[in-house]
Amino acid sequence: MLEDKHNIKAWFYLAPAMVLLIIFTFYPIFNAFFLAFLRDFNYLQGTWEGFTFFENFGFVFRNPNFRDALTNTLIITFVSVPIAVIIALLVSVWLNSIVKFRGVFQTIFFLPYVTNAIAIGMAFAFLFNRNFGLVNTMLGWIGFSPINWVGLRATWGMAMIAFLVFTTWSSLAFRIMVFLSGLQNIDKQYYDAARVDSTRRYRIFRRITVPLLSPMIFYITITSFIGSFKTYTEVIGMFGERLGPPGNDRAMITMVALVYDALDRSGVTGALSEAAAAAIVLFGITLFFTLVNMQVSKKRVHY
Amino acid sequence: MAMSTQVVYGDEKQNRRKVILRQTILYTLLALFAIFVIIPFYWMIMTAIKEEADVFVSPPILWVNPLNWQFSNFALALERAPFARFMYNTVIVSMISTVGTIITTVFAAFAFARLNFVGRDILFMALIATMMIPGEMFVITNFLTVVELGWIREQTFTTALLAMTIPFMTSIFYIFFLRQTFKQIPNELYYAAKVDGTKDLQYLWKIMVPIAMPTIITITILNAMGTWNAYIWPRLVTQREEFRLVSNGLRNAFDDALGVTAYNEQMAAALLVTLPLLFVFLTLKKYIIRGVSRSGIKG
Amino acid sequence: MEIRLNNLTKIFQSKKQEETIAVNQLDVTIPSGKLIGLLGPSGCGKSTTLYMISGLLKPTEGSIFFGDDDVTTVPPEERGIGLVFQNYALYPHMTVRQNILFPLENLKVPKAEALQQAQDIANLVGIGELMDRKPAQLSGGQQQRVAIARALVKKPRVLLLDEPLSNLDARLRLQTREEIKRIQRETGITTLFVTHDQEEAMSISDEIVVMKDGLMQQKGSPQGVYDDPINEFTARFLGTPPINMFDGEIKGGKIHLNGASIGESDLEDRKVRIGIRPEGFKVLKTGSLRVEVEFVETIGRDTTLIIKNPVEEGKTFRAIVEADQKIQPGKGISLSVKPHKMFLFDAATGERI
Repeated sequence: MLEDKHNIKAWFYLAPAMVLLIIFTFYPIFNAFFLAFLRDFNYLQGTWEGFTFFENFGFVFRNPNFRDALTNTLIITFVSVPIAVIIALLVSVWLNSIVKFRGVFQTIFFLPYVTNAIAIGMAFAFLFNRNFGLVNTMLGWIGFSPINWVGLRATWGMAMIAFLVFTTWSSLAFRIMVFLSGLQNIDKQYYDAARVDSTRRYRIFRRITVPLLSPMIFYITITSFIGSFKTYTEVIGMFGERLGPPGNDRAMITMVALVYDALDRSGVTGALSEAAAAAIVLFGITLFFTLVNMQVSKKRVHY
Repeated sequence: MAMSTQVVYGDEKQNRRKVILRQTILYTLLALFAIFVIIPFYWMIMTAIKEEADVFVSPPILWVNPLNWQFSNFALALERAPFARFMYNTVIVSMISTVGTIITTVFAAFAFARLNFVGRDILFMALIATMMIPGEMFVITNFLTVVELGWIREQTFTTALLAMTIPFMTSIFYIFFLRQTFKQIPNELYYAAKVDGTKDLQYLWKIMVPIAMPTIITITILNAMGTWNAYIWPRLVTQREEFRLVSNGLRNAFDDALGVTAYNEQMAAALLVTLPLLFVFLTLKKYIIRGVSRSGIKG
Repeated sequence: MEIRLNNLTKIFQSKKQEETIAVNQLDVTIPSGKLIGLLGPSGCGKSTTLYMISGLLKPTEGSIFFGDDDVTTVPPEERGIGLVFQNYALYPHMTVRQNILFPLENLKVPKAEALQQAQDIANLVGIGELMDRKPAQLSGGQQQRVAIARALVKKPRVLLLDEPLSNLDARLRLQTREEIKRIQRETGITTLFVTHDQEEAMSISDEIVVMKDGLMQQKGSPQGVYDDPINEFTARFLGTPPINMFDGEIKGGKIHLNGASIGESDLEDRKVRIGIRPEGFKVLKTGSLRVEVEFVETIGRDTTLIIKNPVEEGKTFRAIVEADQKIQPGKGISLSVKPHKMFLFDAATGERI
């Protein structure tokens, strides 16, 4: 009786979620590929001129912003992810090895997780303000002259540094939370055993903590990569919809911005196909790096 | 004998010194990191309570005497844009989408956790696989869909709400999360209920849902936080200023074309948007951390 | 290496400031090169004692000596001990070889030498061919040996084992305890192990230390403690089936159990608790103790009689007799008692008289 298949009943329970998922998740995935191969699609009139394989991808690659978007996205990913993962790992290990004030530190460290990207992005923009911001003030204490991070005609390099500080700051909380819970799941006996065997602290960290935490590190790295490739709201938070310092508009454009740029021109012939093509390119890049990541981690992750 | 005792004593002293040194370094590092985390909040608060003239002073004023705190900045910020309306919209949207999400995910998670049906495992794997696909793949078509559904043109508040909530009324991640919780409820409970003649639906609401309440609370909080932070989709589908959500209002109200921003008001508004989140976090920390660390472990 | 515990005390403090005395003023000397079982029911403080010797727990009071060295405040990593944890604590991500090499790497032993030592110790404990496996691919008994090898490889002054057999099934347990005995003999390392299983402790220890409620009860050779228990607790704790206890009295130089005189004593008249080992009975026509047999279990050489307790209504006691005596259940028989298998205890304090 209990092993019976309850097909009809099961579908009744699944129906609400499945209807929504089919309309707003599965169908859009297929449709994105469909749109990306339409020639001169105009959605206002509902017309198109047959199919094309490369034309819409050509639009994406020839978009004057494409190279900037790709460069920015890759820099943001390959700089901020490793730095943030390492810092989070260290901080969570430190946090896990103290007793007093642990709760206080923990609460403070988790705060960035619950902030609004727009609000905190604006706060960071003002932190990096050339004349009135705290960052230049503090740098002044150690002898630096004020730097134009995000102000009028700030350079791409400075804006990028400021932005990386911001994204790293805001992404650490989640990683620390995950690492900390992972550390707390490691049996204390391994550390007792290591201690009896006179293991030095650094060796305990490298030979015991990191391997036993490797599934968590792997998970965080993958999700961080995926999340990082999708960076967009944070750019708006810090730089507004011009996506760059004033006078250097779109300097901080990202891959996702290409999708929304095209979507904003939705009435224009071919724009939606370009958006779909851009989304597929983004998906392709994400998938590629995820697979590379999995391949690299295969040998190093202990389950 | 006396010699060896002394050597050991020396060892202990050295050890204690080492331990104290280590602890000092550890706490210093943690304190420095805590300062790094707090600075943006501190700067946001300080700026939000400064007089406008004090904002534009170089080098900046680092601490404002509590007697001079300018609470009027909050009032001014609220006048800049209909923030009260945005917050109202945000609360409504997050309530609707959360209730909807809970209902759909509870049903679906029950089916995946307890019922036996053809293709269950394949379907579940397919759902998990879609979690990897970036949301931008869906956005384009979803935008077209809500246009087709007539929720964009000649938009009313109702259609704006529909456009903002319906596409997000379920979540594969939450289904997955809740299914894990449901699976931990022992089979015997289900069998016992069956023997007593309990219907599945009754069992789900009377037994499983109460047991899984902590997870459901976690989902509620995460979902509400998501709505509070939503920027892109609401901006895309709302046609009128007054239908937008807080994040949209916040970004646009202070984007001064001339490059002169009233930073104190901007930060006051940012603080208004941030405070409810911090409040929720500090009161329901347990549930949030639970949800996040679970997602890590199962990931 | 002789281990000496002086006045060793451990008091745990709960969050509500309630104090629990886990180990209470323990004075024990553990002779060098012997296998010692630390025995007692759960919660008696035996594991706490072991962990204090390892240095992972700090004593509240008292001191610990390894030979002439006072190691009380020496951290575990400098004590030169090998510790085998109850669930082995093998590093799951390392192979057997890596696990065994780990302590040597900490001591910066040259690679080639370390490999040789690891292989030697692995051969000694009988896992020489399993060096490239991961702990998850081993049986419980094999994991146990790896844990012992890892503890032994750095040639510790003292080897400590926490409930070494408790995670093994019955058959493996028998085999492993012989193995531990053999390894200890071959290495000659002073070895202390903790167990709650008296049979286990009795079968392999050179000496046992019986503990209860943080206090040492008795120390001696297993047979010595069995044959000469200091109080009712040790008498009851050692031996399967357990010792039979009766309320009785001494009257006029005779020991009386339910009116029957079962032995002689030169003590003055008083109430006593009488403990008689199951093998302490003889079925004799002339026996003074008349009892009724309820069940008879014959297993091989021995027959166990389950006999109605003449003192307490509804209770039974056990006697083990030779199997060639034909005894029917439900029948009355006469028993006599072997004097050296009978112990008298103070009815109030439980101390041996």
